[in-house]
Amino acid sequence: MTNRAGRGRAIRAPLPLALAAGLVVAALLLPLAYLVIRVAGGGRAIEILGEPATWRLVWNTVRLAAGVVVASVLVGVPVAWLVTRTDLPGRRFWGTAAAVPLVIPSYVAAFCLLGFFGERGLLAEALGIDGLPDVRGYWGSLAALTLATYPYVFLLAQATLRGLDPALEEAAGGLGASRRSVLLRVTAPALRPAVGLGSLLVALYTLSDFGVVTLMGYDTLTRAIYVQYGSLFDRAPAATLALVLVGLTAVAVVAESRLRRKGRLYRAGPGSQRDGVVVPLGPWTVPALVFCTSVVGLFLGLPAGVLGYWLAHGIANDQQLDIPWSEAINSLGASGLAAGFAVLAAVPVAILALRYPSPTSRALERLSYAGNALPGLVIALSLVFFAARYATPVYQTLALLVFAYVVRFFPQGLSGVASALEGVSPRYEEAARGLGRGPVATLALVTLPLVRSGVLAGAALVFLSAMKELPATLLLRPIGFQTLATEIWKLTQIGAYSRAALPALVLIAVSAPVLYLLSSNRRFESGGPG
Amino acid sequence: MIRLDAVTKRFGATVAVDEASLCVDRGEVVALLGPSGCGKTTLLRLVAGYERPDGGTVDVGGRVVAAPGSFVSPDRRRVGMVFQDYALFPHLTVAENVGFGLPRRERSTRVPKLLSLTRLDDLGRRYPHELSGGQQQRVALARALAPAPELVLLDEPWSNVDPHLREMLRAEVTEIIRPLGVTVVLVTHDREEAFSLADRIALMRDGKVVQEGTSEELYFAPASRWAAEFVGAANVLTGRVVSGVVETPIGAFAANGSSSAATAEVLIRPELLELELDPDGDAEVVAREFRGHDVFYRVRVNGLEVVSQRPSTEVVPLGARVSVRLHDGRVPVLH
Amino acid sequence: MRLAALLAILAATIAAASCGGSNDTLTVYSGREEELVAPLFAMFTGETGIEVEVRYGDSAELAATIAEEAENSPADVFWAQDPGSLGAVEEHLDPLSDGILGMVPEQFRDRDGRWVGTSGRVRVIVYSTEALAEDEVPDSVFDLTDPRWQGRIGIAPTNASFQAFVTAMRLAEGDEKARQWLLDLKANDPKTYEKNTPIVEAAAAGEIELGLVNHYYLYLVKEEQPDAPIANHFLEPDDPGGLVSVAGAGVLESTGDRSTAERFVEFLLSPDAQRFYVDEAEEAEYPLVEGIAPKPGLPPLEDLAGLDIDLTSFGAEHEATIEMLRETGYLT
Repeated sequence: MTNRAGRGRAIRAPLPLALAAGLVVAALLLPLAYLVIRVAGGGRAIEILGEPATWRLVWNTVRLAAGVVVASVLVGVPVAWLVTRTDLPGRRFWGTAAAVPLVIPSYVAAFCLLGFFGERGLLAEALGIDGLPDVRGYWGSLAALTLATYPYVFLLAQATLRGLDPALEEAAGGLGASRRSVLLRVTAPALRPAVGLGSLLVALYTLSDFGVVTLMGYDTLTRAIYVQYGSLFDRAPAATLALVLVGLTAVAVVAESRLRRKGRLYRAGPGSQRDGVVVPLGPWTVPALVFCTSVVGLFLGLPAGVLGYWLAHGIANDQQLDIPWSEAINSLGASGLAAGFAVLAAVPVAILALRYPSPTSRALERLSYAGNALPGLVIALSLVFFAARYATPVYQTLALLVFAYVVRFFPQGLSGVASALEGVSPRYEEAARGLGRGPVATLALVTLPLVRSGVLAGAALVFLSAMKELPATLLLRPIGFQTLATEIWKLTQIGAYSRAALPALVLIAVSAPVLYLLSSNRRFESGGPG
Repeated sequence: MIRLDAVTKRFGATVAVDEASLCVDRGEVVALLGPSGCGKTTLLRLVAGYERPDGGTVDVGGRVVAAPGSFVSPDRRRVGMVFQDYALFPHLTVAENVGFGLPRRERSTRVPKLLSLTRLDDLGRRYPHELSGGQQQRVALARALAPAPELVLLDEPWSNVDPHLREMLRAEVTEIIRPLGVTVVLVTHDREEAFSLADRIALMRDGKVVQEGTSEELYFAPASRWAAEFVGAANVLTGRVVSGVVETPIGAFAANGSSSAATAEVLIRPELLELELDPDGDAEVVAREFRGHDVFYRVRVNGLEVVSQRPSTEVVPLGARVSVRLHDGRVPVLH
Repeated sequence: MRLAALLAILAATIAAASCGGSNDTLTVYSGREEELVAPLFAMFTGETGIEVEVRYGDSAELAATIAEEAENSPADVFWAQDPGSLGAVEEHLDPLSDGILGMVPEQFRDRDGRWVGTSGRVRVIVYSTEALAEDEVPDSVFDLTDPRWQGRIGIAPTNASFQAFVTAMRLAEGDEKARQWLLDLKANDPKTYEKNTPIVEAAAAGEIELGLVNHYYLYLVKEEQPDAPIANHFLEPDDPGGLVSVAGAGVLESTGDRSTAERFVEFLLSPDAQRFYVDEAEEAEYPLVEGIAPKPGLPPLEDLAGLDIDLTSFGAEHEATIEMLRETGYLT
């Protein structure tokens, strides 16, 4: 009689809620609708799908996404465990530093890695070597994308480890299990949902990334889509490739939900805020420190160092360097609005999926991921297509730009809201209803205050992504509206790296406080498509 | 106050409540008793409006609140609910929790009253996680009582509490609720809880209400062997029926309730079996279990073992020969 | 306090986002980099009093945007890096008046008068002056297939400027010869880059000895690294590797104010604007209007543009070029 929570499906979803969620998901599906229109208009889809070149691209893309996921897990999970569960010296520092790369745009990361490890980069210069081996291609892309994405896995794993009821591990320890088997049989399965969701975010990011693969010269579907758009006359091939990406997204989303289904038991209850078991590292302290130092050094120290070097170089060369204040404010404002609207849109979808589970509500939730792996360019063009035709007054306004951010990063907002909601017993809402409060009052007085931290976490993720967003920003921003990302783009376009370093550093600096909010949030637990 | 008529609730393929019917009168305290998974919590949630029935009608306070094609949402039912885990709003103080269901202008007068009623006067500004389990329960009760509902539902209110505290908490809650005269429906799987609190008990099994009655009726005249065994220790004997008398291996008894069948099962509660030291008796004590105020004896009679419960003031040694006698001449026939 | 800061940021953002948008202004989609051409827009506004709103972006992406916007495009003028992007949206461009067209030699404008070139750029070989003396640098791209250059050449096959050069080779020499050259070059294991600037930087760093680029990137890189050991080598005038191409502008059919739009295009061809490339801009593009000489040190355009091909057809030929690059393994 105790586990009614799981199937306590009460009443059919109220119509306004269903309508709101439906509307949100319909908006998120606009890019898909656009692609279908384009593919149907061109008529070469079958031919393109039959070409071996297409499948080579798919293979390249899958190979890269899989590699980045594995690398992110291998980096993110151990660091998360070290900073939450061991007596590693300086764990607070490592915990903060390891999250920071989340604010570094992946194209900046690629620039910095190339600037350092490039054949004639700073490293070669410092060593006085006449040319290092070429790091571009698969491995360079893998490194830059891992830098940009492992923090997703790290933050989610860290939150789970913090929230994990220490009693579970203690109990296992009490039953005579060795420390290693506690790790394998209790901690690792408990981490599965977090690692699954983190991997999904990593995979989707990788699928949609253009900047890194272009700079690193590695051919993926997204890069091919850009090249196809460059050929201009027939947009059907690009749209067909984009639909293949959507297909890959579907595979990733389904795989993740399979993985999650097994791991729900381990959610922390309210009351288990005790710190977990601290594992003494003993002789492993030095290797652990070396590991953390390499991760933070490579993924944070190196890009920051290269940017700093370029900046110093610019100052030394007397270049005109103005702190981009207005760009920073524009970035903050547009990203803030995007974060707010994204979580606002996520609330009905999350409530519908978790409080009124049905095949339809689950399908809606999964569909909201459909556009997430699409390159920003495709999302931007789809919104150009619809807005220029059917919503002229908002075309090229801030509203449309914010909308584009919401469409692109919705799942990140949803993951925060959904995970928090999952941790809130439906009994609270029932209690409120039983006390005579209507559904709206219940939402405002009970549900939202209880999921507040998750909402904030989701908003922070969207915010950080929107800060870095470039392709959609370029095409959809109001004319003359400069953000830090467009400023970096503008300057790197003409190779002015020393001047581009300043907005890049400002971007990192103004994002960092939000990141701090995110990583210090104890209730940010794993969640996602169910 | 409550009338359930052939109410059915399914979750996917499982039928949680299966054409259950039940009546509760105004001012009555009724316990829904049954084993885990019998559907009693679901039935309670159907009354509160947290579930929508797939069939049948639910009538609360003389108003149809759920029937095919019509449904009144929980916020319009004026039913107070105390959840098993209390579901106190963690982000609100005790006073805010209690005042949650009250119109703003009533809070300042009503909340202190309820806090004092539930002896929480000094705790209004605390948060739920700062309270003990018993205090949390009283907050939940105060919150449910605040809007002055005519019906209060309690879902397994003491299942999370240590056994030695349970009795005390039960007494506390009874003290608070009884004088108010509200109708109470309590869900429990603990028969003692049901016996001690309820005016009437509705026994549930597999989604159905299988028997309704007072504690005594349920205990001494259960409707079935399953009911007999669920509500207490039972000796169930099979015997031949001969003109209103059941002949069992331990003796012939007048059957309470008729049976047209040639054989019948009868219930004999252990405390009704009296033992008397008797060297010529046909029974022998084969096991003895001391339980404080009572002692349980396992007695072999004519190749059959029965249990007898005697006060610990009567001592019958292990291995003694005894004769067995029924305290009261009539025994209920089970169907 | 925090709320106040938040609101201030939002207000500033919204103000920044809504400062444009009035109807009296001219809207230009510019595929040309802001850092390079912003002074020209300021000059136009200074001369005419007409405010210009500029959407900067990648030429091909802006062309795709115009194609999606179709008749609803807010743009009046499209100013692109290359004839290909202009050709891609030619159905959305209105023919320019003869007065404007007449200002530019025929070979640097659209056959049907839908766009004109506004400045010229020349394909060159950039080379490392540390690795090579100028006379060692080939005068024809056909010499680059010599095994001597194994692993020493930089190209940007995904970049529109390289693709335009391949189109030129196809048109000038025929598909067969072009394909063979591509295969032979591939055998020489060239290093590929995203676009021109990294090639020039790679030459400066000594990663490569030669690179196929547009001539003006040299000057951009020199601005960052004044002492970079690099130089441009101009090819034979009839060598497809020395293609002279243009950045160009056209007026959109959907413009609400044709005369202002044309006035802007006309301005781009005015002596002041043309002289900008000579006197002001670091990147040393070629002026196209007769009577204005390029920056000192640059060979005259007449000596370079010896290739008899039509830039107009670049848009239409683009697809076939992409296909060939794919067949020969340069693109996937």
